[in-house]
Amino acid sequence: MTSTLPPGFIFLFGALLIPLLQGQVRKTFVLLLPGVAFMDLLTMEHGTHWVASFLGQQLIFGQVDQWTMIFGYIFVINTFAGVLYSLHLEKPDEHVATFVYSGSSLGVVFAGDLLTLFIFWELMAFSSVYLILARRTQRAQESAFRYLLVHIFGGLALLGGVVVQITTTGSSVFHLMELEGLASWLIFIGFILNAAIPPLSAWLPDAYPEATVTGSVILSAFTTKTAVYVLARGFAGTELLIWAGVLMTLYGIVFAILENDMRRILAYSIINQVGFMITGIGIGTVMSLNGTAAHAFCHILYKALLFMSAGSVLYMTGKSKCTDLGGLYRTMPLTMLFGVIGAAAISAFPLTSGFTSKSLILQASGDEGLIVVWLMLVLASAGVFLHAGIKFPWFVFFAKDSGLRPKEPPMNMLLAMGFAAFMCIFLGVFPNVLYSILPYPVDYVPYTVDHVVSQMQILMFSALAFFLLLGPLQRTKTISLDTDWFYRRAGQGFKTFADKPIVVMENAIGGAYRSIVIKTTKKLSEWAFAFDRHVMDRVVNGVATMNNYGANSSAWIEKYVVYAGLNWTGYAYHIWARVLKILQTGMVHQYALIFIFGLFVLSVLVLFWVFVYGPPTGNIFR
Amino acid sequence: MLDQIFATTQIGFPILSLLVFFPLAGAIVIWVLKSDDVIRLTGILVVGIEMSLTVWLLFVFKSHTAAMQFVEHVPWIPELGISYHLGIDGISVLFVGVTALLSLLAMLFSWDLEIDKTKVYVMGLLALQSTVMGILVSLDLILFFVFWELMLIPSYFLIKLWGTGNLRENAALKYVLYTLAGSVLMLVGIIILDLNYQDFALSQGMEPAHSFNLLTLLTTPMSLEKQLLVFFLLFFGFAAKAPIFPFHTWLADALVSGPVAVSVALAGIKLGTYGFLRFSIPLLPDASQVLIIPLSVLALFGIIYGAFVALAQSDLRRLLAFSSISHLGFVVLGLFALNFHGLQGGLLQMINLAFTTAGLFFIAGFLYSRGLQDDLTRYGGLIKPMPALGGFFIVMGLASVGFPGTNGFVGEFLILLGAFKTHWFFGAVGVLGVILGLAYILWYYERAMLAPPRETIIRDDQGVERATSTLKDLNPREWVIALSLTSMIFWIGLYPSPFFDMMDASVQAIADRVDPSKGVITLP
Repeated sequence: MTSTLPPGFIFLFGALLIPLLQGQVRKTFVLLLPGVAFMDLLTMEHGTHWVASFLGQQLIFGQVDQWTMIFGYIFVINTFAGVLYSLHLEKPDEHVATFVYSGSSLGVVFAGDLLTLFIFWELMAFSSVYLILARRTQRAQESAFRYLLVHIFGGLALLGGVVVQITTTGSSVFHLMELEGLASWLIFIGFILNAAIPPLSAWLPDAYPEATVTGSVILSAFTTKTAVYVLARGFAGTELLIWAGVLMTLYGIVFAILENDMRRILAYSIINQVGFMITGIGIGTVMSLNGTAAHAFCHILYKALLFMSAGSVLYMTGKSKCTDLGGLYRTMPLTMLFGVIGAAAISAFPLTSGFTSKSLILQASGDEGLIVVWLMLVLASAGVFLHAGIKFPWFVFFAKDSGLRPKEPPMNMLLAMGFAAFMCIFLGVFPNVLYSILPYPVDYVPYTVDHVVSQMQILMFSALAFFLLLGPLQRTKTISLDTDWFYRRAGQGFKTFADKPIVVMENAIGGAYRSIVIKTTKKLSEWAFAFDRHVMDRVVNGVATMNNYGANSSAWIEKYVVYAGLNWTGYAYHIWARVLKILQTGMVHQYALIFIFGLFVLSVLVLFWVFVYGPPTGNIFR
Repeated sequence: MLDQIFATTQIGFPILSLLVFFPLAGAIVIWVLKSDDVIRLTGILVVGIEMSLTVWLLFVFKSHTAAMQFVEHVPWIPELGISYHLGIDGISVLFVGVTALLSLLAMLFSWDLEIDKTKVYVMGLLALQSTVMGILVSLDLILFFVFWELMLIPSYFLIKLWGTGNLRENAALKYVLYTLAGSVLMLVGIIILDLNYQDFALSQGMEPAHSFNLLTLLTTPMSLEKQLLVFFLLFFGFAAKAPIFPFHTWLADALVSGPVAVSVALAGIKLGTYGFLRFSIPLLPDASQVLIIPLSVLALFGIIYGAFVALAQSDLRRLLAFSSISHLGFVVLGLFALNFHGLQGGLLQMINLAFTTAGLFFIAGFLYSRGLQDDLTRYGGLIKPMPALGGFFIVMGLASVGFPGTNGFVGEFLILLGAFKTHWFFGAVGVLGVILGLAYILWYYERAMLAPPRETIIRDDQGVERATSTLKDLNPREWVIALSLTSMIFWIGLYPSPFFDMMDASVQAIADRVDPSKGVITLP
């Protein structure tokens, strides 16, 4: 036992106290929480801590090693940056959601067993959705609901996998798995859904751009990176992931280039960047896994920085489409500077953090002789520069003058951006600080002439490509467009490629929630209800009606057969009674006459009997 | 034969009889009272004392044993082997607690409702509690059957007289007819059990030759053919009461038309599935084994079917009724996995649903008493004026569909664990049901509580209009109801061990009985 609480619990319990505090006290408190969690991390020792028993399984809240620590550090650092960025918020709700979300992400990272992992996994989904809902627009509501359903699906796939794992092996300990059998596949599906691997990626660009300005900074960090973390622990070396990762890097770029909304560009670029990490996991060597961990660390910072910069623009102007923006460097120089630093870092410029981390993965793919992979990743790196490195800052801060003259955002936002920008450069200049906390020992020197020159070549070439394409690009700005502007104006080959298979596929997947899943579900539910009402109920009512008919016909028989019979019998008695009544004169001498006559007839009969059969023998009354 | 610990040695007085007849006595006292206020107060007092007795009982109850406890045994009709035999074990003890709590809360809920004939209403609620308690503590099948039928009387009149809507008389009648039809067959099943015992006793030369005693019948061997026959006969009785698809069509009508207090009792106390666990499975282990597949399929169908129909509802209480059918599918799925985890999960889930489903019915009642019609999706944005109500709503909603950290997760997890052991396919379909469950609850919640307001005016029966923004949040009495159920939800969700301690030994005993490898009872 190293410290009193797992770091995730510091956030979760802290989140409960936030609504009780007011004003400056609350602001101080939310800034202190990450500090406390960081101290907690510093005092932590490797090993297994905080084990509890639940439902006959062991819940391990602290499985601590190098992997855990690096993700723990960056999650806490990013929470600090995100909270600083959102410090101006008056209401406590987003801060509560932020701490529950990052606390449960830390819970996932420290979980040593699948059940604990699942519990925090679900908590992540439900707390993160609040950051989207809090935007309080109709679009945000709708995409939040889709986001939630998708994650519930993923979470339950995970739960199914965990349950199968427990029933087959009797243990729920989380360790490296082979991708075979139902349990591991279900768990795998749960993981890759959160990693946004196509075709399970549509939720990300659908939901993140709809989140609040401050929420998207937080969202960009945790869900996909916890997925990267659990995939690295559970499925390192799974070949499928190499290709999935490569696909992601290219997929993200195509859409980021097609996109017009600046936050949506950044959302697609998350898919692209996570692709590098997933490839690293798939390769599964010490070098590539180090690269994955390092890239996750750096990516969280510069992607947060980019979202902060884009968010500041949105916050100050209320606009987020590239075609509505431009020329903001005049009045937002600091925001521009931080945005450009983030762009440089994501493009892996030398002396920024991206350069020191991404090259590990590229190097690993080369070392393993995966030439195609290496080539694709290089291509993707050029593409990153094209969309996130140049396109975002160029169209937002430079290009034409949109006429907008917004002020710089509030001080806390600037400070948060400054902090993140500092980290991006610091890690680029002193890569060994990062290398020293990587999961495995690092034997790699990033700053060689060869590395720097080849990276600069890639960057310069793509910069050239961008500005050569700028002519056709600029013409499109006059049209108010969404995703479809590129393939209308750009080269015919790319148009066909983008138009036919990819946009169709993206629309299909994005629309699948609504048109296939949601609509089918609604239809099915309507059918089921109609069945219940018109068939089940009617069967029951039919039985009741039949009973009714039965009762009515019984009543008819009762009335016209049974009663009628009785009545006729009664009537017959009545008639007989009338007939017999004639005899009832009431005169005693007549009755006596009849009596005597009767006796006479009886005597005649007896005599006749004796005459025919002879006198009776023995006792006739026996 | 299961051990019995008699009430005289365990607690010194016949506490179970007291639990059964005290509310009835209270009802009789109320009969002679005049003032409505005094009647309400007495009603609360009676259920309050009942609750305290139950808490006492729970404290004295011995965990970690499968024995019948607090047993009372008096011959009733000795010629026919019928006796007044009460007792509880790990299967029924929590049901007793749940019944006492829900009765208390239902009485509290009815406190300031504007109702006619308060006296009869309170008497009806007390009589209902009495008969439900009787069902739960009876160990003699005839006694059980008597309470089972008696329960219909108060519930029929409560639905018929204090229900809402034009269909309430129909609904009450439908409920009674359904249950009666099922229970007639059940009675035949009970008699066959006795006849089987008679055969067995005669062959062993034992006296007396009749018995309806559960504990005796448990030791009586029975051929598979007879078991199957009895299983089907009992099944109709329990399935109609539960209700299980396709015997469910009374439920929605009764729950929608009945007063909230009755909906809480009918939907919250899962007597039908209790019957399966108490009688069908232990008495007929071989038949249960044979029927695992068909019953699981029926359960899965019910889960999916109920969830889909729930998804189509705009009326909250109707939605809850269909979600009950879906939840009962889970319970049956767990029970008929016939392994320890499945049985344990099924039992715990029945207890859980008493808190979550009943809680949601209370929420519906709170909304209804504020003049909102049951179709809440017309309004939207109701969380604004009523944040606390909205908060409890979502907590109970998520608990009812098994969100981690709540009681529903514990139950569903165990059920899935059990179902996956039977066949992975059952577990997989069960998981799909959980997704649908989340979908209908969240979708409804989104439309009613979160979405931007659509309709802002409420019109009551007298045509008086008021704005939804002036609706009051929970009053202290409603806070008590919501808070006590929510604390149970989190208690079981986070620290379920005390509950498992109480029930595990009894669950294990049943699991051992039905385990074919252990082969405890069956002789030809």
